[in-house]
Amino acid sequence: MRQVNVAGWLFVVVVTLLVEAGVRVFGYESSIAPPSSTWRALVEELWSGSLSGKVGATLDAYLQGLAIAIVIGVAAGLLIGSSRTLLAASSVVLEFLRPIPAVALIPLAIVFFGPFGIAANRFVVAFAAVWPILVNTVYGVRGGDRMLHDVARTSGVGSTGRLLRVTLPAALPNIAAGLRVSATIALLVCVTAEFRTGAGGIGAYMERQHFAHRIPELYAGVVLVTLLGFGVNVLLRTVQRHALFWAGEERATQ
Amino acid sequence: MTPSGARRLTEPVLGVLVFLVVLGIWELWAGAADSFLVPTASEVAERVWHVWPTSDFLSQVGQSLKRYAVGFALATAIGIGLGLVVGTSHAARRTLEPILELLRAVPAIAIVPAAIIVLGPGDASRITVITFGLCFPILVNTAEGVQAISPEVRDTASMLHVGRVERMVHIYLPAALPSIMAGLRIAVSLGLVLVVVSEFVGEQNGIGYYLVVQQSEFDYPALYAGILFLGLLGYGLNRLFLVVERRVLAWHYGATGD
Repeated sequence: MRQVNVAGWLFVVVVTLLVEAGVRVFGYESSIAPPSSTWRALVEELWSGSLSGKVGATLDAYLQGLAIAIVIGVAAGLLIGSSRTLLAASSVVLEFLRPIPAVALIPLAIVFFGPFGIAANRFVVAFAAVWPILVNTVYGVRGGDRMLHDVARTSGVGSTGRLLRVTLPAALPNIAAGLRVSATIALLVCVTAEFRTGAGGIGAYMERQHFAHRIPELYAGVVLVTLLGFGVNVLLRTVQRHALFWAGEERATQ
Repeated sequence: MTPSGARRLTEPVLGVLVFLVVLGIWELWAGAADSFLVPTASEVAERVWHVWPTSDFLSQVGQSLKRYAVGFALATAIGIGLGLVVGTSHAARRTLEPILELLRAVPAIAIVPAAIIVLGPGDASRITVITFGLCFPILVNTAEGVQAISPEVRDTASMLHVGRVERMVHIYLPAALPSIMAGLRIAVSLGLVLVVVSEFVGEQNGIGYYLVVQQSEFDYPALYAGILFLGLLGYGLNRLFLVVERRVLAWHYGATGD
């Protein structure tokens, strides 16, 4: 258990109080919600259910999209990483698709999947999240120890067995690092998609509050989605530290 | 010809070949599906030909690029500045860590409405969003780069009484440069995402707005043309950055031998 950073969290409280005082003293309440009103709105909206239900919808699209990205990214990364021919064959197609900002696909996804339901959101989340996972898996596979491979081969482990029992575990630290990059960008893309499709979730909630000019409620949405992102970061870092204890913290390759 | 020499020749060809096959499959599939949702590759190509050179499209691109450039510059200044402070001072790191972790977790889209309410729907609010989102990868990488500087270098600097500012500019900054460049490389791609995100709300102009208009006017080939443009722009910016990076870090590659 790490020690709690008292000075740091105290600083967060001080900044919050300063914002509160600043907004009230200079009379900006009509355009900036002071933290106290934001807090009240957050509690009320969570209590009444008009915001708490949105968290589930956001998590739904977010986690499903991430899961699809992990499956595709890891599977494709393992294949491409372990064969020079496949790497060369896929390079131009991947280099062509990868730079497309996933958010630019949102209007297209709305057209394809319809504006209602989470299918469009799930798709763009998966598209955004797949690249860091795929690229880092390929790096992890190619950086793997040849010796382990040869030992496994001479011990009679088949090619599928080698892929799953030698290559995959060796690449896991890289995959985890890629996943952390994916998780952040995917949340941004998910909330942006909800914002545009209005199909439920915290993004759609914020869009409605913005439209209705209900500023404390809008800020409540910002706080909630921030806590969500913060929670995901902490969770992934903890999992990475405990489950991949042998590797240390691997840096992601962009 | 040696096997590796043959490989060097065939591998790029193979990549292009697969790309062309994928394009061909799209063309045939879209032609067979005959759906207005999926234009054929040739329809999109024709649209690209007619859309990209128009003054309307180019002015939208210009708006976006201006925001991208200003946001990138501001984020670089803020990110490196704060990163140096956080990286060199243990007290500053302890104090700022939680608030930076919280701010870093804010998805940029969440602050777009608030920025528009306070700053209006013009450039100021968009640039604020872009700057906000871009400064964190730069900050984190700068701080990590500074922290990784060997204690010998730090001790030598303090023993020789190198002033604080001088130490920052002449020792810490160059030593952290490879790490800073890694942060900037992330920012190059992320910036394009943030430009589009910031232009999705309170529509005015820019390439993000352009996409929204094509969607609502059901002009799907033009929508594909816009997305294609963003992809090529992202590719070009990445390439450009790699050239700059190789220049800036030439001494580093020479020193480390890779």
